[in-house]
Amino acid sequence: MAQDMRTILQESKVDRAAVDRYAAGAQKIVGEHRVSARQADLLSASRDYWPVNSIWMREGVFPALPQLVVWPESTAEVSELLALANREKIPVTPYGEGSGALGGVIPLKGGITIDLKRMNKIRALDEKNLLVTVESGLNGALYEEKLNRAGYTGGHFPQSLRCSTVGGWLSCRAAGQFSTRYGKIEDMAVCLEAVLPDGTVFSGRSVPRTATGPRADHLLLGSEGTLGIITSATLRIWPLPEKRHLATYTFERLEEGLEAIRLFMRAGTRPAVVRLYDGQETGNHFPELGDKRCALILLIEGNTRIVDAEAQVIEDCVRLKGAESAGAEYVEHWLEKRFDVSVASILFQKGAVLDTIEVTTNWHNAHSTYLAMQEALLGVEGTMLASGHYSHVYPEGAALYVTAVGFPGEDKIGYYKKLWQAAMPACHQKGAAFSHHHGVGLHRGLWMADEHGPGLDVLKKIKTALDPQGIMNPGKLGLEEVRTWRK
Amino acid sequence: MAEVNMEQLLNCALCPNLCRCECPVLQATGREAVAPAGKARIASLANEGKLYWDEVMLEAAINCLACRGCTIHCPFPELNLCDELLYSRLPAREQGVNLPSVEPYLNNLRKYSSPYGQKAGALVTENQPGEKAGGQKVLFFNGCTSLANHPGSIEAARSVLVRAGVSFQMIEEDCCGYPAQVWGDEDMVRQLAEENRRKFKDSGAELLVTSCPECWLTFSERYPNLGQELPLEIVDGPTYFLGLIKEGRLEPVEKSVTEAPGPKVVSYHDPCIWARTAEKTAEPREILGAIPGLEIKEPYASGARTRCCGGGSMFQLAFPGTASAVAGRRLQEVPADAVLVTACPFCREGLLQGDKPVWELIEVLDRFFK
Ligand SMILES: Cc1cc2nc3c(=O)[nH]c(=O)nc-3n(C[C@H](O)[C@H](O)[C@H](O)COP(=O)(O)OP(=O)(O)OC[C@H]3O[C@@H](n4cnc5c(N)ncnc54)[C@H](O)[C@@H]3O)c2cc1C
Ligand code: SF4
Ligand code: SF4
Repeated sequence: MAQDMRTILQESKVDRAAVDRYAAGAQKIVGEHRVSARQADLLSASRDYWPVNSIWMREGVFPALPQLVVWPESTAEVSELLALANREKIPVTPYGEGSGALGGVIPLKGGITIDLKRMNKIRALDEKNLLVTVESGLNGALYEEKLNRAGYTGGHFPQSLRCSTVGGWLSCRAAGQFSTRYGKIEDMAVCLEAVLPDGTVFSGRSVPRTATGPRADHLLLGSEGTLGIITSATLRIWPLPEKRHLATYTFERLEEGLEAIRLFMRAGTRPAVVRLYDGQETGNHFPELGDKRCALILLIEGNTRIVDAEAQVIEDCVRLKGAESAGAEYVEHWLEKRFDVSVASILFQKGAVLDTIEVTTNWHNAHSTYLAMQEALLGVEGTMLASGHYSHVYPEGAALYVTAVGFPGEDKIGYYKKLWQAAMPACHQKGAAFSHHHGVGLHRGLWMADEHGPGLDVLKKIKTALDPQGIMNPGKLGLEEVRTWRK
Repeated sequence: MAEVNMEQLLNCALCPNLCRCECPVLQATGREAVAPAGKARIASLANEGKLYWDEVMLEAAINCLACRGCTIHCPFPELNLCDELLYSRLPAREQGVNLPSVEPYLNNLRKYSSPYGQKAGALVTENQPGEKAGGQKVLFFNGCTSLANHPGSIEAARSVLVRAGVSFQMIEEDCCGYPAQVWGDEDMVRQLAEENRRKFKDSGAELLVTSCPECWLTFSERYPNLGQELPLEIVDGPTYFLGLIKEGRLEPVEKSVTEAPGPKVVSYHDPCIWARTAEKTAEPREILGAIPGLEIKEPYASGARTRCCGGGSMFQLAFPGTASAVAGRRLQEVPADAVLVTACPFCREGLLQGDKPVWELIEVLDRFFK
């Protein structure tokens, strides 16, 4: 007898007979051992790293459960699994490594979770053309490790590198910490191979650029499992860098730091890591620097002569804005600690609620968006801290990453919703975009109409065309209303 | 019963699996339920009474090789996930919830004091050397897995110890209790601990040497936790044999690599317990390095960053499919042109899947030292 698990977001479930029929069919496709209805597998596939899931975990309740988990190992298997689900009208939720920050993998309508982790091979390493073709379920750190062993880097280092998949990155338009040099994942993705709900397998051309109409494969970038399943991708790679230059500067005010960055980006430099912290975060991450000044950490890498030249240009630019040099050791410290999010576990245990909200600004509203979001978050009763840093920069603007921590007492979910209800309008009002890299999942879907306007209808039409039965990850990306999760 | 550290277990349950890239069971199966934090979630919910142990939950929570690969990236230095999972699972057996796949082996343990069933005879040895004698009186403990699967390594140990002039004995062994511990039968661990303690005392030996990391861990950590301090010093095989070399009691045979058939290039696979718990990564390499002309090539992940061969936590018995998948992954990381050497009977079993010879360190000693 299965244990009785309480779910909060479950909108519906597929009737038992249909699931059993699907299970029998799936076993024929992938074999008995790669299909599971064991409750341990179901409840483990029910969640990701959306903070609400951590709150519910402590309460012993679950967001929503799939009815079956299947582990394909090839594109052909994915194709058969999807075609079968489509025929039976059974919802399908793709699952990478569940590091998503917004509830994207929650199977709101039950059905099948397709876990892609066994699709984890490097299919081809093309050294001449600097390309790698990799299956979507490969873990990020293992992907980078395999490239390093051959003398290359993928250049993609999200903080979740060790706990996310290549397919998850592509599905969420992820950004790595070295993105200013190497780009976001969509800049690295030369082409994708994907499977549509009816089982159609298609892929783009692995050439530098094309002008043969819109790229069908690129539609899947950022589609978060709502259109189909990404099975593999051909990504750009780089030879391991010859040289690394590390530098830290501090500024009296955040605006000066932003101006300095704008100048060196305008001058054409592309350091890999550019992170500018407000005073509060400077004090938290680098206590020796105190919290009165704002730290900018930089990591420049690549060809030695280019790195040296970039370091010089950057030095000239930051000096113009009153920077003080603080030495390389802060970057080394950051490199060592950059994947550590242990503080979240500790705070959740203490009854705190925390979340991070990353938005995209241009230079003209980079600072005002920070101020507006901070003020909005601090205005929510229970908030103890609202701080921010700029984590990815471009010639035309920057990603702003805001962290809020509060101790709301009993009604944690209510508080969580209030945080977002305060932050999103503040961001909108300043003209910033609602997400730079975490994506939409379930929760951010609540603001997709504000973000896209009529563009959301375009997305809905694409969804209907590719997934007429609506089986793919229902309730996500704000493409349909979710009864169990509202503002 | 050992207490669960709930604060540490919850740190893990609330973690986004920052170490999942190093968890061999997760990487081999792709199952979220066996991810480090996945298991911690099940265990913590069970501890808090928010779910109860049944066969399905137990099967997930026991899916841990105890390889401690997760510690490589874990930001919680005080967390010992393997132990927290172990202690969390103990109530399951008390409630009558067991893993069917291990019951036959537990029955063997009850009946024969070995999970593998009837023990092979002709083990008991005593060596009282003449003039070369010196040092402590040694009890050499082979462990059930070598006894059952690899008499060659026992012969090698016997012959090396005789050659070094060690005053030693091998006794009629009972299992150390490691399998019973992993499978949650703490009463049996206690019984075996008492029996072993008595036998070791009766032997009159002063030093216990074992080449089995699981036995070493059980004797040196679990027994004291159960209040069963052993009446003799315990040392791991690699440290002990290196000591014999340093004392000049074992000497490498000149030209044994260049002029005799046998391995010319070796690669040492670090067993997880030796590398991460006992921190013995230098000793085996020093032993191999003492052999003139022998080339040593490192596997991809080596030393403290080694990756499990699939043999931890008795997986070769409890979850043979997973054990074999984990071994397959590890075999991709070892140099193709080298003979594999390891220092653990479980690792040897796992690596043998590669269709190439695998030597135990003791066999290397036997072959290259006089
Ligand atoms: C500690 C931590 C730090 C983080 N840091 C960053 C960061 O620096 N940068 C960043 O961009 N993100 C970051 N994230 C967010 C998260 O890691 C990314 O969104 C990541 O891309 C998700 O990958 P995943 O494999 O875990 O996907 P999952 O969480 O499993 O899935 C995410 C979404 O993609 C869909 N999906 C997954 N795989 C496929 C596929 N093959 N085909 C179709 N749909 C699929 C799922 O259905 C779901 O909707 C962080 C998360 C954590 C927990
Ligand atoms: S073992 Fe450590 S790193 Fe791994 S999931 Fe648990 S807390 Fe996270
Ligand atoms: S000890 Fe090994 S098998 Fe167990 S959770 Fe850690 S990495 Fe995984």
